[in-house]
Amino acid sequence: MKLTTLTSAVTSAIALSAAAAQAEGTLNIYNWGNYTNPEMIEKFEKQYDIEVNLDGYDSNETMLAKVKEGGSGYDIVVPGDYMVAIMIGEGLLAEINAAEMENFKNLDPNWVDVYWDPGRKYSVPYQWGTTSFTVDSEVYGGDINTLEIVFNPPEELKGRINMLNDMNDVINAGLRYLDYPRCNSNPEQMKELLELLLSAKDNWRTMDYAVIEKLTSKDVDLSQSWNGAAMRARADRPTLTYAYPKEGFTGWMDNVAVLADAPNMENARLFVNFMMDPENAAMTSNFARYANGVLGSEEFMDAEMLDAPEIVMPASAPVPDFVKPCDQQVVEMYNKVWTRLKQ
Amino acid sequence: MDKATPKRTLFRRATGSRELRRQPLFTGLSWLVLLLLYAPIAVLIVFSFNDNRSVVVWTEASLRWYETAIGNENVRKAAWISIQVALTATGVSTVIATMAALATTRGGDFRGKSAAIALINQPLMIPEIVTAIATLSFFSILRKLTGISGIGWLMLAHTVFCIPFAFMPIRARLADMSDTFELAAADLYAAPWQAFRHVTLPLLMPGILSGAMLAFVVSLDDVIITLLIAGPGETTLPLYILGQIRRGVTPEVNAVSTILILLTVAMVALTFALQRKRK
Repeated sequence: MKLTTLTSAVTSAIALSAAAAQAEGTLNIYNWGNYTNPEMIEKFEKQYDIEVNLDGYDSNETMLAKVKEGGSGYDIVVPGDYMVAIMIGEGLLAEINAAEMENFKNLDPNWVDVYWDPGRKYSVPYQWGTTSFTVDSEVYGGDINTLEIVFNPPEELKGRINMLNDMNDVINAGLRYLDYPRCNSNPEQMKELLELLLSAKDNWRTMDYAVIEKLTSKDVDLSQSWNGAAMRARADRPTLTYAYPKEGFTGWMDNVAVLADAPNMENARLFVNFMMDPENAAMTSNFARYANGVLGSEEFMDAEMLDAPEIVMPASAPVPDFVKPCDQQVVEMYNKVWTRLKQ
Repeated sequence: MDKATPKRTLFRRATGSRELRRQPLFTGLSWLVLLLLYAPIAVLIVFSFNDNRSVVVWTEASLRWYETAIGNENVRKAAWISIQVALTATGVSTVIATMAALATTRGGDFRGKSAAIALINQPLMIPEIVTAIATLSFFSILRKLTGISGIGWLMLAHTVFCIPFAFMPIRARLADMSDTFELAAADLYAAPWQAFRHVTLPLLMPGILSGAMLAFVVSLDDVIITLLIAGPGETTLPLYILGQIRRGVTPEVNAVSTILILLTVAMVALTFALQRKRK
């Protein structure tokens, strides 16, 4: 008896909240945590009379795990470049044909035919940046635009280096230093890479994602870093300089995409178009501190963003290297190298 | 002289004292354990009062980050979701756990009784990530079949993993309680419901309260299952904190974490206080 009343109470609670969730004019966004400008969301809500639910995730993989089963209830996700390719491959994204949207004309043509979504059928740029490293130029006065100082550091930097705790970022930096191709499954070259990493590791202090904390606490003087994090660290430690190594560095882009089973498809399309408006893209950049790939957004961006050397690449810097997802054989080899390195 | 004497004298001979607490190694070890357990939390709390943006460099004391956190609509929303989910899960799971505890201690012997107890406690043994993944696929099938969405699913998932936590202290209390009073009540013509309402339930209350508090805290702190089950607009406080990490931790996260710790500690303290009072 009691159990049945209980069950009916639970069922009615579920039904009740379901009714609330299905109210007219909502949009459910799933984005990286602390990455969405609340003012921009407010503007969207007012402009279209749509109520936005915003939740945060901590990695591409968490997001994928959650939406892969379907029925997650989310409309908009913001996957990184390689993750867009994976999600398109698995049929998780809706074909929205961004090119036919009103604001598509604002997109920087450089970001249209990208490897993860040629012609932008599924996604539009959200924020993009680079992964290189930043150095205290007071501690080390020499040329910083080379990976030499990471893998074969001068005396001043020995034991003062933090690397990201990220398999791909560390291995790709090593491959660039050795001038070997990315997604490498050549056993000889990978063996050489492992030796390089193991010998370099003796000069590294830590491998940690907490770049800003490591640098501002002066725990290290060089850290592998995303450009936005490097800029924020520089605010506390003005002698930091972001390097554009001549051997190359990683470029990445997070993209706005719509899930194939989005419950609010029309609102989601409105949001995608909204994000290609220069003013709205600038609002995101001013909050998240990365570049956005929408032409004309400079006009609305904070002044310190426009002359930040971390955001505005010097003309002499090589083109950022957007690394494609590697096949299974390569991933297994990378895992082996990474496990050995972390032992 | 009882049987334990040889052992005890051996202990005294080896240590020069019969008091375990007086051993120098014991004290040192206790402090070390306490330090390792609580020093990180102490650091986190200290830096929540830091005026600087950094969580590692101290400048001066301020309540700035508490103001930011409390003024942050997302934090308030997440806290409200957490409390709603925890209260519902606690209420429902405690009722179910109480009934299960009564059935397994007062229900006489029935076939599969120990299997039933093992089954109820199973969520404690299965790695949480396995439960999370399993629930994720199961719920997503159900969501698609029924077309029902909403926070009810999250509450349901929390209720399920809270049951064993509520069950343990209630069952322990029941097992310790002799059934003499209940038998006496029955002798005095109390109907089973009356005997339960006026005898068993009041005696069982401390166990039920401990179970409920434990369930509340477990629900409030859960990350893995919540991360995979929560739908749109259902970010709980732990999920909010997790989402901040990759983009750089500010003392605001410390402040939110401190509030969460205080809430948890308050619940545990309340449980102890209630138990002591009942005794």
